[in-house]
Amino acid sequence: MFQITLYTSLILSTAGLLFQVYRFQKKGASGVPKLKLSLNLKLVLFNTIFQSKLFRASKTRWAVHFLVLSGFSYLVFFHALDELTAFNLFQYYQPTLDPFQFLRNFAGFLVLAGCIGFLFRRSFNTRIKPDNKLKYKGIFSIILILLVIGSGFMLETVKIISEPAFLEMVEDYSDLDEGTDLDHLKIYWEKNYHVVFKETLLITEDALEQGRRLNNDYCLDCHSKINSAFVSKAFATHLGKPANFLNHYRADNWLYPIHYLLSFLMLISLPFSRFFHMLLIPFASAQHKVTNKHFQKEAVFIHPATFAACTNCGICSEVCSVYPNFLITGNKQILPHSKIESARKMIFTGHLNPEALNQLQLGNDECTMCNNCTNICPSGIDLQGLWKTLPKTLHKMGYPDNYTFVKDKALQDWGNKELEKDRAAGTYGLTQNLTGRVYSFENCVQCTICTNVCPVVAYSGNDNDMTPQQIMNLLRLGKKQTAAETRMVWNCLTCYLCQEHCPSEIKVADIIIELRNISNQTAERLKIMTTADKANTL
Amino acid sequence: MKLAYFPGCKINFYLKDYDTSFKSLMEKLGVDLVQLPFNCCGYPARSTSFEVSVFSSIRNFALARKYDLDIITPCKCCFGQLKYASYQWHENKELKQKMDCLLADENLFWDGKTKIKHLLSFLYDDIGVLEIKKKINHKLPEKKIVTQYGCHALRPFTITGFDNPHAPQIFEELINITGFKTVEWSKSTECCGNPIYETNKNLSLKILNSKLNAALESGADHICTACTHCQIQYTDLSFQNECQKHHITPVLFTQILGAALGIKKEKLGEDRLPIFDLRVS
Repeated sequence: MFQITLYTSLILSTAGLLFQVYRFQKKGASGVPKLKLSLNLKLVLFNTIFQSKLFRASKTRWAVHFLVLSGFSYLVFFHALDELTAFNLFQYYQPTLDPFQFLRNFAGFLVLAGCIGFLFRRSFNTRIKPDNKLKYKGIFSIILILLVIGSGFMLETVKIISEPAFLEMVEDYSDLDEGTDLDHLKIYWEKNYHVVFKETLLITEDALEQGRRLNNDYCLDCHSKINSAFVSKAFATHLGKPANFLNHYRADNWLYPIHYLLSFLMLISLPFSRFFHMLLIPFASAQHKVTNKHFQKEAVFIHPATFAACTNCGICSEVCSVYPNFLITGNKQILPHSKIESARKMIFTGHLNPEALNQLQLGNDECTMCNNCTNICPSGIDLQGLWKTLPKTLHKMGYPDNYTFVKDKALQDWGNKELEKDRAAGTYGLTQNLTGRVYSFENCVQCTICTNVCPVVAYSGNDNDMTPQQIMNLLRLGKKQTAAETRMVWNCLTCYLCQEHCPSEIKVADIIIELRNISNQTAERLKIMTTADKANTL
Repeated sequence: MKLAYFPGCKINFYLKDYDTSFKSLMEKLGVDLVQLPFNCCGYPARSTSFEVSVFSSIRNFALARKYDLDIITPCKCCFGQLKYASYQWHENKELKQKMDCLLADENLFWDGKTKIKHLLSFLYDDIGVLEIKKKINHKLPEKKIVTQYGCHALRPFTITGFDNPHAPQIFEELINITGFKTVEWSKSTECCGNPIYETNKNLSLKILNSKLNAALESGADHICTACTHCQIQYTDLSFQNECQKHHITPVLFTQILGAALGIKKEKLGEDRLPIFDLRVS
């Protein structure tokens, strides 16, 4: 039974792994530019073994992660694989001997503490809050770990209290028969090892002394004092009445398969759950190549496998430079942890709904490429590279940036009445309202000084349409929307030369910037309207 | 003296040398820089939303005020935006109220008292040219150099109050004490073209070219910048050939002054700079 399930789960796990590799390869080939695999050896080494990046990001998180990792590694190597490791390394090894008995309990305790820490942080993290879906992503893995460790402790507990197990051991390892000797040993074990016996035994000093001698003869070689199994011992001593019930139904026998089956479930789920990050983070770290020079030469779409290395920890959003933009606009897709999740969906499911893609495009446009998220990402994902290449991919899918969108938009599509209504309703936040007040531009005498000093007018050639002074004139004629769509508004360098030179003290540059705000907002509104149409037709 | 260091978004990834040399320079001049978890200054958001851009700045002020620190930045776009936001906050009551509400959501408050300094204005106004001149112990070669002022620090003058917007001179004064010789040129106060680098690269390049041509005409060997965005524009890999074609090397002001003050090469950045090869001490 054990052998069969072990090999089945090993085969399933390998198959899952191969399937994921195939999926990543396939996604890597379709649609996105190919990239060379690179190897950042230093980062792989430090980030995998010591989680150096997580340590830099947050000491407490690192500590919690380390509890789970160290405890879990110990359990895998010296408990689950003890037939391969411990039995060969230590001649006297027995699971019930110290220090192994103690270490097993200690490791289990560490993992339990760490997992509870994980759950605690997930529940109270403020920055992931806007994304409730993400909040409990990966909780399956944590619960599975808790179940495995919990069943392990329960198994040890029921073994401690088990009378049948005691009797079997006596039969196998001693020559004691029914009689007073056995009773003495029972008394000793009830007192010192917390075995629960059906019949009530009379404890006397003499019997204990006899029991101790028998224990020395037969048991001590393989059984250290039970105090070292501190977690299970605590359970065993507080079990009370159900103990007899558990003994009667041989709980130790049926908890054992539960324990190993849960562990095998963990093995099978490795390529499909949060456990996969164990393999993907080293991979993502190897692909990490964010130097400025590299970046300018070839910014290629990150490897699909690195998407999956994201553990939704949300640390990136805590350091995001444009977090205030999110506070005002409320677009979740400004925050890196949301962006990478959407990008992952976009790549793997092939189709994200148009509204989500639109939001992703708008959110990603706000990114200032400050590298904060990439610098801190504990998984070592090349986030900066992703933000840089995402616009190109989105453009190909029909979601261009606002500049291109406005450039390609015909003027007749621009003067939409509904947009004016929205603006009047004040949906776009506070403005200086320079374009709405006549006195801010009515003093323009069309002297063309602004046009003469403007570097855009001087060097753009055919690339430009209006001049600053013509824009002022359009405003005076009440053609605000037309003015907002001009190339001049979008090409403006915001160098303020016009404003500084204006003899009528008109805030030319501020007006142009405000027009660009209007243009941006109109573009966003139009995009949402067109994507809504797209979503309806789908 | 203790100041909150506002690096700006681009410096850490795109121009690490500026960051390193700026810190070394401040250390040499005895200024303590405090790093706070600042967010973006709000300049990039100015194209999309006035409210967002102002709020981004105000949030930074509130953070600096919490520690009772003034802000210093090596970037002129950040400087301009911070000044601009502060001005709007003081002028516009409706805006002020809204900002107060938004800050209160995060347990922050700004009373409007944070001062904003740019590297140059700080050196010129707070430390003084003479004071720096006394500390200079390495003479740099008398190479001809032109200055790139950076638009957002100069204009609008009523808001930034940096220097005379038509004929500024503090940059020249600060460079001349190092041994470099500043030359007059026609495009000292004009834009470098970086603001539209992302959207209209072609125009951005044309504007850069016009500047380099003007610098060449003036007979300069170097262009000196004291702004993250300007320096990025001159050293951008896709544009770098332009500078080489015109035989002009862009240099960072912090590296020049740092070299003149005798700061070690390693502490001024990784990229080897031509000025160190020219150094005659």
